[in-house]
Amino acid sequence: MDIWFIVSNTIVLACIYGTLAIGISITWSSLGLLNLAYGFIFAFAGYGAWLFAQHVSTSGPAVLAAGILAGALGGVVICAVGFIPIHDKPNFTIRGLIATLAINLIGTQCLLWWFGPRSKSLPEIFGNWSVSLPGVVFTADKIGNVVTSVLLLAVVLRWMQSSRRGLEIRAMMMNPHAASIVGIGVRRTSFYVMGITGGLAGLAAVLLSQTYYISPFGGLMPMIKGVSIALCGGLGSVRGAVIAAIVLGLNEALTSISIGGRYVLITQFVVIIVILLVRPRGIAGLLDKAREA
Amino acid sequence: MSIDSGIKWRNPLFVWGGKRDVEELPTIPFRSHKEVWERTRRSTTKLNPVGRLRYYYKWPGHGATMWNRLRYWPTRRRVLRVRGEYNPKTLRAEKTIVDKRPIWWVLGLLALAIAPLFTPGDLQNTLLTAGATFGIYAAISLCWMLIMGTAGVFSLATYAVVGTAAFVTALLAVKFALPWWLLPPIGALVGLVFGGIIALPATRLDGFYYALLTLGLNELCRVYFVTSKEFGSANGGLYGARTYIPEEWSQLGQLLLAYYACFGLMLLALLLYRFVNGRRLGRILRMAPEKREAFAEATGVNFRQARVWVFLVSSAALGFIGGFYTSNFGGVAFSIFNFDTVLLGLAMLVIGGVGRAEGAVVGTLIVVFFDQVLNTWGPARFMIIGLIMLLVVLYLRNGLFGIKAQFRAWRDKKKSERRSTRAEKGGELLPEEATETEDKSVIYQRRHDKMTRDHLKTLVSPEIIEEHRHSLNGQHSEALERLLIYFRTRPQVEKYAIMAVERFEGYRIVALSGHRGVAPRVVEDRIYATPDEACHGVFMRRVQDLLES
Repeated sequence: MDIWFIVSNTIVLACIYGTLAIGISITWSSLGLLNLAYGFIFAFAGYGAWLFAQHVSTSGPAVLAAGILAGALGGVVICAVGFIPIHDKPNFTIRGLIATLAINLIGTQCLLWWFGPRSKSLPEIFGNWSVSLPGVVFTADKIGNVVTSVLLLAVVLRWMQSSRRGLEIRAMMMNPHAASIVGIGVRRTSFYVMGITGGLAGLAAVLLSQTYYISPFGGLMPMIKGVSIALCGGLGSVRGAVIAAIVLGLNEALTSISIGGRYVLITQFVVIIVILLVRPRGIAGLLDKAREA
Repeated sequence: MSIDSGIKWRNPLFVWGGKRDVEELPTIPFRSHKEVWERTRRSTTKLNPVGRLRYYYKWPGHGATMWNRLRYWPTRRRVLRVRGEYNPKTLRAEKTIVDKRPIWWVLGLLALAIAPLFTPGDLQNTLLTAGATFGIYAAISLCWMLIMGTAGVFSLATYAVVGTAAFVTALLAVKFALPWWLLPPIGALVGLVFGGIIALPATRLDGFYYALLTLGLNELCRVYFVTSKEFGSANGGLYGARTYIPEEWSQLGQLLLAYYACFGLMLLALLLYRFVNGRRLGRILRMAPEKREAFAEATGVNFRQARVWVFLVSSAALGFIGGFYTSNFGGVAFSIFNFDTVLLGLAMLVIGGVGRAEGAVVGTLIVVFFDQVLNTWGPARFMIIGLIMLLVVLYLRNGLFGIKAQFRAWRDKKKSERRSTRAEKGGELLPEEATETEDKSVIYQRRHDKMTRDHLKTLVSPEIIEEHRHSLNGQHSEALERLLIYFRTRPQVEKYAIMAVERFEGYRIVALSGHRGVAPRVVEDRIYATPDEACHGVFMRRVQDLLES
């Protein structure tokens, strides 16, 4: 029972963090921007959903959609403030990283100032039912989290595979310079990318708020988990992110059972360091070639 | 232009009755050469300054003082970089201070040293506390600058090292009642061990992979220390270590002691920065900047080892600072592991400019001012710091201290743009060519030549050609004389000459090579019957060349 509880918990968290990690991964590989303002987008989307639930409607799908939209809005804002002005300037990668960190600082402090330090909770999106199997009970929010995140992720990946815009984004991921030569606008595509990855962050925010609460600094831990997973899987690789999410989730479950929940982060970083020492570009990353940006 | 323009030229020598002299010949109206001059000089282009001016104050110096240099004993290092030179115009001996930064450093540090004397009474408490915090954070920033600027490792785990050292020393101090002076060395040891552990992935990973990893490590430390019972998870930190500040002193005395102790810590950090960055390790690493590591490696520079050395040295120094932190505040709070602390620390480096000691110190001063002195503003002060950081990153290439270089680069770009807009004028020598020509008289000679040709082109007319055919020698009209004088003064290379194919029967035009031993080149097949015809043929060729130039 205990094992199953931890395993199911791990799967849920892996799905949510994997969603964030894939967002980080896509942003890095297509724009060359390491967006460390995801913590802010996450909290922003959470507050957006909360405001929607307070003032408009408390129906689950509507709140979810509001969160996703708020996240996409946050992503677009960060793109306009932090990416568009410097994407063609010298030393862009470091400056972009620092700019997103600065936006994160400003944004979270704004949220703190506006909403206060008390955390908020969202209404239950998936209702209050549960499925009992022999030895294990799946609650509604767990099943809903897994199903929703996998479904939306599948939709996004499918869209990237089949649509014109997705083709543009994939071209940017392969070779941004060549993509701009054949007429794919870097700025326009960057808005799509940031909108979509922001939407993914918003989704993760709403889903995670079923377990944790929404607070101005609540986005930090999910962001660090997402970054770790993206790093471990290889920045720029969706498949690697999925594998890394599973590996780290497994590690979390095993550590909780065997040593104790306190040491989860320690073992997680040991695992990440070992993986990175063996493969410096992550599990699915190319060994020699980093993105030249 | 027709032959019969009505204007006649009267030969003044006609009365002497020379052979083939004619009294009057049709000619063209007088055209002043000044027209071309005026036209060339008149310019509608906006003239922008294109030169390079750098103003340095020229100190007088002569004889013995010219070469007198102040040096740090016992090294041969100079305190100030002074250039002695002779003014090329006045031939006076002059001294120029090339690098004024040491002067600014001394003035700034002096100001910090005497600042407590000038603090207003009602703000004394706040300002002195902020000053002490500034000293500690400046020392941390300097060590971080060594890691980020000198070693080029984008590490975000600096505050994790400091915090870990501070917590470990605080725990030891509380448990074993250690004296305060033992804490910094123990902290240095802890920092060295921690640095050694996190230097391990730094050798394999580069750039952002490492930044992300260390970001996670910082969070790991925070969670570990916050949740562990030994480190006082209940009361927001671990306090109770002995400090170096005597209890029996007055409050002002305690504050002043803390201020000067932290100031001394900053001076130590500056010394460390100087010794690491300005000596062998720094030189080696400056050889291997980002994206040029392969070249450095090929030339035999072991930059990886140098990086790890710098990393270890700075980690030990950070640990030392952590120990000092504990012995200064009597303990340490968990807030040192906060993500916001890391962000503020990064803001200190970024605002000043990565890779310079002055950037670290001034950036720290700015951030600490907003963070500590204006602490009644609440979250707004973080927003201001974030905003400054964002603006600096968006608009400045390398922080506040990079403004000078960036401005110069921008000005040079503008100047070269202006130079290229001036290329249409004159057109004899391209502006870039003109600035690089050693002999500047060439520029003016070519310019004059062009104006002369422009004027002479206006003189060529059927009347003049007819006149030349009529009288090769003797007195010519003014216009023809000008043309002929110009033709005669051309250089030997490619100058036309007449070659006798057969005496008194056949002549042809050749062009001289201008070089001894190289035969003239035949320019046309036509054979002229008389020397006069050939002479006129040469004239016609020259006129054609003139009109084509």
